[in-house]
Amino acid sequence: MQLGGARATAPASRAALEDRLRDIQSITDAALARLDDQELLTELLERTRAILQADTAAVLLLDYTSGHLIATAAAGLEEEVRQGVRIPVGRGFAGRIAAEHRPVILDRVDHSTVLNPILLTKGIRALMGVPLIASGKVIGVLHVGSLTPRQFTSGELELLELAAHRAASALASLMAREDRMAAEALQRSLLPSALPEAVSADMAVRYVPGAGKVGGDWYDVFCVPSGHLWAVIGDVTGSGLAAAVIMGRMRSALRAYALETADPAEVLARLDRKMQHFEPGALATVLCAVFDPGLDRVRVCSAGHLPPVIASPGRAAEVADIPPGLLIGASRHARRRAATLEIAPGSLFCFYTDGLIERRGQLIDHGLARLCQLVTAEPPEVACAAVMGALVGSETAADDIAVLMVRCRPTGTQP
Amino acid sequence: MIGGDDQLRWEDGRAVVTMPAEIDVTNADEIRWVLRAAVGRSSSVLIIDMSATTFCDSAGVQAIVDAYNQLDAYNRSSATQTELRLVASAVRRILSLVGIDQLIPVYSTVEAALADPASGDDSRSS
Repeated sequence: MQLGGARATAPASRAALEDRLRDIQSITDAALARLDDQELLTELLERTRAILQADTAAVLLLDYTSGHLIATAAAGLEEEVRQGVRIPVGRGFAGRIAAEHRPVILDRVDHSTVLNPILLTKGIRALMGVPLIASGKVIGVLHVGSLTPRQFTSGELELLELAAHRAASALASLMAREDRMAAEALQRSLLPSALPEAVSADMAVRYVPGAGKVGGDWYDVFCVPSGHLWAVIGDVTGSGLAAAVIMGRMRSALRAYALETADPAEVLARLDRKMQHFEPGALATVLCAVFDPGLDRVRVCSAGHLPPVIASPGRAAEVADIPPGLLIGASRHARRRAATLEIAPGSLFCFYTDGLIERRGQLIDHGLARLCQLVTAEPPEVACAAVMGALVGSETAADDIAVLMVRCRPTGTQP
Repeated sequence: MIGGDDQLRWEDGRAVVTMPAEIDVTNADEIRWVLRAAVGRSSSVLIIDMSATTFCDSAGVQAIVDAYNQLDAYNRSSATQTELRLVASAVRRILSLVGIDQLIPVYSTVEAALADPASGDDSRSS
């Protein structure tokens, strides 16, 4: 990083240069690295405020879903964080910095230049702010303020940029970790509960995050008052918290629609409308299988999802013959069709997401054929273990994998 | 390779965008922008050529759906109508499984995609 401090602090006396070196060291101090990210942020704000002799220092982080900057950490301006200040990108002082990706210095603070009322009531007279940039993207804004009239210099701006650089990498890793933890917690909370005793079916499930990254794969199994058993599997495009949140919303919406109708095509049509209205741009594949109360027939509808593999006792497993349907979120004109399949007692249904069978350099049909060789009409836990052992083994999956197996019990057997 | 105008070529007044061998999360954003740029510049037919593509995950599918929706919006605000066509071989089955072929016609070769007359070529009836 180029430091042109002499330009702003001329005449460059030896003492001034030494001060400046000390200031830079204070921000780039290796000891900071030993703090956890939250502590580092707090300490960095204190140091920044001290070396710039400012009265306030604050960090606002960009919330991508709302397009707002949210006050996250502050020194001398704690009420900003406590009150949860939100600034739309493009508006006000901080909003301008985030929108234009460049520093802004204000020598005059009033309603025309600042949106946040706390800055005005606090009596801040001058402000200097810079964008926080990680991996080329703006993730927030760092600013300092003065309670007395003041002209921030370019030398001071360079120090603030140095602090922003340091803060951005700490924040990026803090946000990534929080994202991952939240997504994992969300995934765990979505595990389906056990099947009711009265249902003559057994199930087994597996969920494996891809390359350490939780994504938008999910499954669900539930009974509705009519006695129908629903098995659902889906995959929201993307990964991390954003995909997991959309997945959670789809899962609960689908459950609600399933209470209204036993037709999976109708449920997927409603889900599609809901998604296109409330989550524009999101795409997902979903497959619903609705088992009749007697478990002798199942209606299956796929919205761009891979067909289930069905193994019946004494027969080789095969890919279910169901009409492909357009994935959820792609078009308002999607037509939904369900297939009705007869079920031989003791049949096992294997529902899965693409991570289980998709491999680079292999045709999808090869993966489907391989899965058919592996799925057998055994108890679901046994079948699941065999499939996972053969297709995943000890390698780390590149993509998430979700597997749901449901077996209708052979006639006259108990679990 | 992705980048610049290498992927967009013109065949008889029709735009052909060449897709790379693999489309996944690492290059899907770039592809999305290449396709978006092509949407505004095409004439009667825009062909997404995936004949060399051997792997396309959900991020790739998303980029194609995005192009379809961009084109749909463009067509609604424009006097001329552009048709989107796909060419695929190895990933054809995937495109069918996710239902993309119900949205966009899929051809086996670029020649076949070029040979098919555009619905807007002869008459301008709406």
